Amino acid sequence: MKKVISLCFIGALGVLLLMVMASMPRMGDPQSPTNTRVIDRYLEGAEEETGTENVITGVILNYRGYDTMGEVTVIFTGLAAVLAVLGRERRGRIHAYPDRSPIRPSIIVRSAVSFLLPFIVLFSLYTVLHGEISPGGGFQGGAVLAAGMFVFAAAFGLWRAGRTVPPWLRYAVEGAAPVTFFLVGAAGLVGGAEFLTYMLPKASAGLQPSLRTWMTLLVEGGIGAGGAMIFLSILMAMAREEDAGGQAA
Amino acid sequence: MSDALSLVLLALLVVTALAATLSRDLLAAIIVFSGYSLVMALLWQRLQAPDLALTEAAVGAGVTTVLFVTAIFKTQRMEEEAGRKRRRGGGEKEEGRP
Repeated sequence: MKKVISLCFIGALGVLLLMVMASMPRMGDPQSPTNTRVIDRYLEGAEEETGTENVITGVILNYRGYDTMGEVTVIFTGLAAVLAVLGRERRGRIHAYPDRSPIRPSIIVRSAVSFLLPFIVLFSLYTVLHGEISPGGGFQGGAVLAAGMFVFAAAFGLWRAGRTVPPWLRYAVEGAAPVTFFLVGAAGLVGGAEFLTYMLPKASAGLQPSLRTWMTLLVEGGIGAGGAMIFLSILMAMAREEDAGGQAA
Repeated sequence: MSDALSLVLLALLVVTALAATLSRDLLAAIIVFSGYSLVMALLWQRLQAPDLALTEAAVGAGVTTVLFVTAIFKTQRMEEEAGRKRRRGGGEKEEGRP
């Protein structure tokens, strides 16, 4: 009976979703609002208005800056929720995984990770710093960096990962994404411009384009570093050793 | 040609999604799910969204996989049905880990 009810509910939900899908404009429809209103403005004005060559970065960080700032805060809130439920790992007690595992990563895994890790880190930096010219950006680069650190932690143990990226560094940088975003956004207010314009109008005219680019890079760097540290902190909190009286096996 | 490739990828997407959902072995489900992310990343690239492809590959295939594996390490690997659990769990002590 319970199954029938759930199936009916899921079926009804599916029908509703499909109905909404049917009312959306077809993909690539030249008459859709995306193609008739914003796309020309983005493609023609982005480089001049935002100072970024990659239009997507311009859209994400400038035209939709408010949305992105909210999204950045959501990721930070995710970490806060994980910490609220699981708690922060204790100092010196973060070696539960995979050090306690009966199977140690083989020399092949460790050698492969040692070989690949510099390239992964380099690629993540490239993705962050080159994000305003080519595909990529803060979040992508941060995710690549986090994946690299995860691979390192899986091959060499959380204890060594915790030594390589010390806790104080993680705690300090975790909030970097929302903080830099807000500060750089507010920097425009100081100069008399609008929030999130990334530029100080009082700066000399010749400086402005590069100043905008630097502001964009600062935001990207904050998102990248903050995002990577948030992921690492979530892993550390999840893998932490339970308290002595708890379930620790 | 390109349509055929997209169709193959989409079919693979459905197959991996179903396999990940139906598998009782959660570790296998996670590995299949990371394959799903890889296929999804390829599809994003085919839809000319390289930014999303990068994110999908790094987060979907990399980060979440490790987080899921950690969660399994902390709980248990095999999914249990309600009935089976009752039959088995009589004298056994509930174990936090496999």
